[in-house]
Amino acid sequence: MGKTSKDKRDIYYRLAKEEGWRARSAFKLLQINEEYNIFDGVLRAVDLCAAPGSWSQVLTKKLRKNTDNADEVKIVAVDLQAMASLPGVKQIQGDITKVSTANEIIKEFEGLKADLVVCDGAPDVTGLHDIDEYIQSQLLLAALNITTHVLKTGGVFVAKIFRGKDVTLLYSQLKLFFEFVTVSKPRSSRNSSIEAFVICQNYNPPPDYVPTMVNPLLDHKYCDFNQFTGTNRFIVPFNACGDLSAYDSDTSYPLLLEGQDSYEYKEPVQGPIDPPYKEILDKTKAIQINKV
Amino acid sequence: MSLLTRTDVTAVRFFSNYILAGIGSSLEVYHRDNGKFIRKINVLKGQKIYGIKSTNSGSKFIIFGGKQFSIVELNFNYGEETVLERQVLCPVVCDDWLHSGIFISENKVALLTAHNVVQIWNTENETLNEKYISKDNSILYSGMLLPLKDDLLVFSGTVFSEVIIHRCGDDLPLHHLKGHKGVIFSINYNSEKKIIVTTSDDRSVRIWKVDNIENFDVDSKDYWINAKITCVNNLYGHMARVMRSHITNDLIISIGEDSGICFWNHQGKLLRKVMSHQNACIWSLDADDRYLVTGGGDCGVILHPLSLVSEYGHKEIVPIEIVTPKKVKFTARRNILIMNESNQLIYYDLISKTSHINDLNHTSTYKLLSLSSCKQIIAVADMNGKLDIFIENCKGDAGIIKIIDTKLNLGKILSLQWAGNRHLVVCSENGQITVLASKEMGIEVIDKFSLPPCKEMWLTASALSLDGKILVVGDRVGHIHIYFHGIKNPVRTFSKVYDRYGATSIIIKRNEFITTGRDGKIKYFSLSNDVHSIKYMSCKDLEFQWLEKFLDKQEHYICGFHERVFVVYDVKNNLKVLDVACGGGHRSWDAVRYIEKVDDNFDEFIEVLYLKNYTLYAEKFQLSKIMSKNVINGIHSKEINCLKTYKYDENNASTYFLSGGEDTTLRIASSNLTSQIKDHVVFKQLSSIRTVKIQPVDKNKILLLSAGGRAQICAKIITFNQDNNEIHPEELIDYLIKGRDKERKGDKNWRDCSIDFDPETRIMDLEILKENNIFTIITACSDATLRIFNLDIDNKKLNPIKEIRYHKTCILKTHIFEFAKNTLLVTCTTRGDVAFWDVGKPEKNLSEPIFSTHTNKSGINSIDVSIIDNTRFLLATAGDDNTIHLNLIQIQKDINSMRVTKSWSSDKYHCSQITGLKLIGDLMVSTGIDQRVTVFTLSVKNEVKCNFFSQHYSDVSDIHGLDVIDISDESVTITVFGKGIEVIRIPKPIK
Repeated sequence: MGKTSKDKRDIYYRLAKEEGWRARSAFKLLQINEEYNIFDGVLRAVDLCAAPGSWSQVLTKKLRKNTDNADEVKIVAVDLQAMASLPGVKQIQGDITKVSTANEIIKEFEGLKADLVVCDGAPDVTGLHDIDEYIQSQLLLAALNITTHVLKTGGVFVAKIFRGKDVTLLYSQLKLFFEFVTVSKPRSSRNSSIEAFVICQNYNPPPDYVPTMVNPLLDHKYCDFNQFTGTNRFIVPFNACGDLSAYDSDTSYPLLLEGQDSYEYKEPVQGPIDPPYKEILDKTKAIQINKV
Repeated sequence: MSLLTRTDVTAVRFFSNYILAGIGSSLEVYHRDNGKFIRKINVLKGQKIYGIKSTNSGSKFIIFGGKQFSIVELNFNYGEETVLERQVLCPVVCDDWLHSGIFISENKVALLTAHNVVQIWNTENETLNEKYISKDNSILYSGMLLPLKDDLLVFSGTVFSEVIIHRCGDDLPLHHLKGHKGVIFSINYNSEKKIIVTTSDDRSVRIWKVDNIENFDVDSKDYWINAKITCVNNLYGHMARVMRSHITNDLIISIGEDSGICFWNHQGKLLRKVMSHQNACIWSLDADDRYLVTGGGDCGVILHPLSLVSEYGHKEIVPIEIVTPKKVKFTARRNILIMNESNQLIYYDLISKTSHINDLNHTSTYKLLSLSSCKQIIAVADMNGKLDIFIENCKGDAGIIKIIDTKLNLGKILSLQWAGNRHLVVCSENGQITVLASKEMGIEVIDKFSLPPCKEMWLTASALSLDGKILVVGDRVGHIHIYFHGIKNPVRTFSKVYDRYGATSIIIKRNEFITTGRDGKIKYFSLSNDVHSIKYMSCKDLEFQWLEKFLDKQEHYICGFHERVFVVYDVKNNLKVLDVACGGGHRSWDAVRYIEKVDDNFDEFIEVLYLKNYTLYAEKFQLSKIMSKNVINGIHSKEINCLKTYKYDENNASTYFLSGGEDTTLRIASSNLTSQIKDHVVFKQLSSIRTVKIQPVDKNKILLLSAGGRAQICAKIITFNQDNNEIHPEELIDYLIKGRDKERKGDKNWRDCSIDFDPETRIMDLEILKENNIFTIITACSDATLRIFNLDIDNKKLNPIKEIRYHKTCILKTHIFEFAKNTLLVTCTTRGDVAFWDVGKPEKNLSEPIFSTHTNKSGINSIDVSIIDNTRFLLATAGDDNTIHLNLIQIQKDINSMRVTKSWSSDKYHCSQITGLKLIGDLMVSTGIDQRVTVFTLSVKNEVKCNFFSQHYSDVSDIHGLDVIDISDESVTITVFGKGIEVIRIPKPIK
């Protein structure tokens, strides 16, 4: 396999490298914005599960347009893992299930709350859909929980969601906190992918709600208005987002795109830092363990 | 009602002579010893079973998975091999994911959730009695509860790569086991061995020793409070994530994503690694001291005898002093023949341990040794033509006697093979092939043939038909030649069947011949006295490259080499039988399979002989002691992308499933729709298979097309034999739109190749158009292009006719239908566009669709059409926007004047991508990634009316589509496919 084959297989992978994004997911946030204008008037934004940092890159680029004074723009990126630094982004290497992390964010905003919280976090998938969906839902709920600590009333929350068998439980949960909940799939997300994004607008928690990190938020159970099977399932509206003329992530494009007259291979912007399989990679460099 | 489910096997457990397997939400019970299916019990609702634990007394089980648990009592009737169940507790839905569930008394269970909460439930009155919340509440990937006599111990495997041990209800953890570099996937503990075994994302297995200086009881809390736990071994044996482990008295067994089972001793030495479950992840295991059972991502359950080489096999060094041994062989009496470089043929009697030396008076050092298929007759020839034939006596003292001593006048002898027991095939210089038979004390020439010129002109394998009229040979460059009696030149040649080295063996069966080679492929050809009926039929890919020969007459076991290991593989069941670390194929070796009586029972044995470091080894294996057995046959090891069901005859009990998947295999399986589904043939393609389509060509004959990644299109004719239920495939086409690598690059290596700017195309879907025996294939590709081909079955050619670029984005699905005497093709894209093409007219006029419309907001993943009357049809589309659209389309004057007259749509019935949609008369069935199957009633008069009728849950995740198997007055039987297969019978509305 030549090194151009990945560029051919995935147009957004290639464009991300050419435009300097750390991951192709940058396009997803850009396309969500095209549809929902989530960056309008936003000065303080939180990027949860930020590594490798492509969404933070988008935030810095877009939010600076909202003000003449770049110092007003505050972006906090939170992740458990280390992430290569980005100018204009405050990094917190911490756990989103901890109050201390929430406090650190608020401190960074000088006591003010965030206008926008985004979360593109996803677990390493196991291959068992139900576990993957569960872990993803817990990640989303953890993100929602910390969001309830840091988001201003009326604010916007955007998060990755796996549209699996129990996604309606999450929809009903999110609907408790936000007036508008829609699910959207950017054109840069593949048709075959289970991922989509929930765009939760107008944060409006229940009147008696007190944010707490003592107990994790658990997802809902099936009930009368959200049945396991039947006509009463809690399904939120779907939108495809991204310009109709945008590239399509399932389409195979030639290396010479329309309107281009040359192609040059580019290396990825930022490689992975310290993956769990690092140790065995180092070990297998020295010995061949498959020869037993 | 679910009739048959095959999906990831996420829990397995032994219980006396039975195997319990968690398949989706159901528990299936099988007999351990005969593999018989006993019973399927639906236990959970909408959750996979991940754990099965019994009470100490045995018959009661807690079965849990996802957020549910259930208590079931099983009563086994051992005599009649039946099991009766009583669901003591219907599934209880907890508010969180469960990692562990155990009985702490007859009617109390403890459960550990993914947020490190222990729940104690009373099973009598179904109430949650107590709840202990740990402070370390970020998500757990695994956990284990260990009941002590005076406490309950909690082991939590956290996402932060550590195991936290705490007493239930205690705030301060007792121990932190740190060291793993990734999330912990499983935790096990063995109180006798006092070890904890953990497995992780970081590919390692760790053994932790629990030490205690003081003399506390192992099941007391004081023991654990005062324990010192240290990691004694950090083991790497898996090439990917390690999912689970099990501790037995002698072993630690770990299973992983790499399809490997590692057997470690308690000191951490890797004793053996076995690859199983067709490269799928292995999810679950259980073991006792005699057996191991594993459940995998290929939906299979495999029973492995738990014996190691030392026990199951007998390895001995043949104590014989031979200078420079050259060739070793087994004889019919399973004694050993050794030909050495000192011009000697030595017969070694394994029983009396004596050897007899026969001096060969050959003048050349280039000597050939061959044994007849019965292994009783031995031929030795040298390059100069000296030929000796020996025969092994079958009774009395073992030994061989020379029966023929002659000189062939054929020039330099280059190869020598027995074809059966009576004929010798000799190839001498200039490609002269001579078939010899014995005649009294000499030999006679039966046939003479000529080998077409090539490099290294001699034979690698040969076979003669029973009547002696057809000779099939393989040469050194991989061609297979067929000769008829009396005709000097080959009547038929198959070029380049194998690459270098040529075929390693050829066997002739009644109407076919089978070849093996060093590229991992067994190839099947039809054979006949009529040259035109001699055809290449199909090929089977094995997991290892170097295939040598079959060991039995039924072509059940094939042997060969995988790198430096000698392998015997069960071709019928797709299982590896044994491996011997002999050092590789470039040595002298032999192997035999035979049946011998052991304690009143007959058992199969395989004996392997090989030279390694100038030492001769003989290893003997008793198959029943070492062979893994399928309890449930595996199917696809990854998602099934496409599937068609087929029944050639309504009266036949079997339904055939023709499916292609992400695992790059195309499979034809048959099923009784209740308890079994079994692959008959498996074909490999270069990349994932996205579409299969069939077209009947005769009563029990179909044309099968499959296509997918790397723009590969394959066509086969499949004949279903009604008498013996066998399937005869004939491969017609294996075509790459962009050409083979060799065709594209020529002889240049990749460095010298300029960048290819054309897109890598995937074929997303295709249709077969049949008109008067002319087959047109229309493919929809990911580069937004429709490509049309003509399929010439007789000449096995696929000819491109036309490419149409109309759509702007990837075409996802196609559909073909007859309407108003026209053949119409529908294409759907990732943008929700639908276009109709009049494909009945000559292709050259085809460039624009006759009608196009936009239905869905996003990609269309499923489509169906139902004809209403002469002027109207109903188009149903659904996809990524979880919306079903129905559009009634009417033609005005002619087919070119279509318009949508009525519409209906709804996004209320699926919460994720809809991947399957069928219009079945006045019903519509839809399914999708949300694992729901929805049934609607449909009426099209002046309006399109569509009403919800029922919804069913399927245990198959990642559903990629559905197909209708059967429609009766009361019900519709469908199959959904994705990560597995489920057959569901849905009741129809009562009229």
